[in-house]
Amino acid sequence: MTRLRDPAHRVSPRARTLWYVEAVLEALVVMVVGVVGAVLVVPDPWRWALAAAVVVVSATVALVVPQWRYQVHRWEVSDTAVYTQRGWWARERRIAPMSRVQTVDFAQGPMARIFGLATVTVTTASAAGPLQIEGLDQAVAIRLVDDLTLKADLDAGDAT
Amino acid sequence: MTIGPTAHTTQAGPTGQPDWERLDPRMLLVHPIIEVGKFLPVLIGLLVAGGASGTGPWALLGVGVPVALGVVRYLTTTWRIHDDRVELRRGLLQRHNLSTPVDRVRTVDLTAPPVHRVLGLAKVVIGTGSVTSEADERLELDALPREQAAGLRTRLLHSRGAGAEHPDAGYAAPVIAPEVVVTRFSVRWLWYSPFSGTVLVAVGAVLAAVGQLAELVEIRISEEDFALVDARLVAAVAVAGLVVALLLGVVGYLVTNGGFLLSRQGAAWHVRRGLVTRRETSIDVARLAGVSIAEPAVLRWVRGRRVRAIVTGLGSDQSSSAVLLPPAPASTARQVAAAVLDTPEPATGTLTPHGPAARTRRFTRALLGGLPFAAAPVVVVLLTEATPRLLVLSALVVVLCLLLAIDRSRALGHAHLAGHVVMRSGSLARSRDALADRHVIGWNHRATWFQRRAGLVSVSATTAGGRGSIQVDDMPVPAACALAVAATPGLIDQFLLDPAEEGP
Repeated sequence: MTRLRDPAHRVSPRARTLWYVEAVLEALVVMVVGVVGAVLVVPDPWRWALAAAVVVVSATVALVVPQWRYQVHRWEVSDTAVYTQRGWWARERRIAPMSRVQTVDFAQGPMARIFGLATVTVTTASAAGPLQIEGLDQAVAIRLVDDLTLKADLDAGDAT
Repeated sequence: MTIGPTAHTTQAGPTGQPDWERLDPRMLLVHPIIEVGKFLPVLIGLLVAGGASGTGPWALLGVGVPVALGVVRYLTTTWRIHDDRVELRRGLLQRHNLSTPVDRVRTVDLTAPPVHRVLGLAKVVIGTGSVTSEADERLELDALPREQAAGLRTRLLHSRGAGAEHPDAGYAAPVIAPEVVVTRFSVRWLWYSPFSGTVLVAVGAVLAAVGQLAELVEIRISEEDFALVDARLVAAVAVAGLVVALLLGVVGYLVTNGGFLLSRQGAAWHVRRGLVTRRETSIDVARLAGVSIAEPAVLRWVRGRRVRAIVTGLGSDQSSSAVLLPPAPASTARQVAAAVLDTPEPATGTLTPHGPAARTRRFTRALLGGLPFAAAPVVVVLLTEATPRLLVLSALVVVLCLLLAIDRSRALGHAHLAGHVVMRSGSLARSRDALADRHVIGWNHRATWFQRRAGLVSVSATTAGGRGSIQVDDMPVPAACALAVAATPGLIDQFLLDPAEEGP
């Protein structure tokens, strides 16, 4: 049975830490809003049950999702193609031939900068979604961008 | 400077550079008419005010400003083709200099609204696939004489091939290829117009209105004898509404698609349609990535189809430029697809179904989606005094969901036919999409945890036009890999897991 294997490289382990920080912050916001909302709006017998449910679910999500995401996020660049994998519950693998690469984008948010991480986005002429590699080590990302730019340049044509 | 049918070839000035050309002087007539139309409320106001205080210079201003605007527009708009670029200059205060390389031109649309048509003019919109759709930045020549517009179109769409073969020939002498007609409007097509989407929306609105009416009537009048009369009234309103919707649908279809003509001329496809405003779209053959044959449930029921082109650089927001066939008989659709793709197989060949796991998923998803609607009447019956007859609604929902699931699982299919990736999915909005191999610019494989457990994956073959990809749900993983290997050899092979290497 033929199937695709995982791309070769994991993203930086610090990405997992960053995702944990973000997930915990998000979960805290959801908890505060959910609990306050439940206490104010919902009638008595259900009130505390709902508040507890909000806390349990968002805490679980914050604990599970970053690790899961780190397990899934992978990338690989060969001489002829770019291959990325991301997501957690839904896993999306994207493959684009090097000859169709149009732009290579290096991006760094404020949080990512603190952690020394970067996102590399490779676009093709398709509107159906670019290939994105999140949580790369900054140095690796810079090398990757150079590598991609060089390889994509070698192929002539307008990449459509 | 010559203007007119003879101006096909670029008039070289003394310096060897082509002169800037103006639009057709007849636009001096068109613009004031349109501007007066825009100014009509103001004009009426001015006339009324003038009538009250005696006609003064104000009324003159009301007529003069639009005419002046038209003259200014005519005088400030010039264009030329120079140095392999289309250049357009326009605007008096806010000058715009637009310029695009000729080889970036993807579509050339000719539009002739009624006023233009009467005067023998056509508006030329040059599409480059740029994402900016602001009116200011569009390459639009409004307007040229009909023949010159057609000549310009030929030159823009054919020059690339000619230029490559004879680098010295430039753009001066495009060979006018004979026009081969593939299909033209037939009165029989009107039969399909009530089954297109617009009419469905109209019918839906009418039904909703009738429902509201019935509800009102039921609430206000409870006597039995009144109920009979009301039922007849409601039925009459419903029938009248339906007839109006049907008529609107047929007239709308006729106005949009009357005089439809699909033809091939040299390296371009031309689509001509419109009873009042004549619209001509041209698609460069090299940019035609594939076709999408739409067979929504209602249209399928009467054996009708719609065909749309997937054009590189033409996004879904410009999809009206990509119509290859309005709702028409399925046999015509197959014929159009075969002509456009140069092979009948992608439209007619058999597709590989996606197997039992995909079918199971269609059923679970349809039933889960219908669950709230099926459960609601049960809850109502259990919690309130409502009549148990409401449970019929639950049964109806379940039956509808099952029918939908059956139809959806039947639709699922894929194939690699004559150098095209073919995918079909959907029920109410089913479509069969074919994309030429060389236009596949990547693959997206998406699978949720449930799909991974079932060994299925949703596959998109990405391309540079249309909605960006053609896609199909729940392909068995080996089939998905085999399709990608067949369509884009050497791309995903390097990422495949060899069965021999696979662990226990």
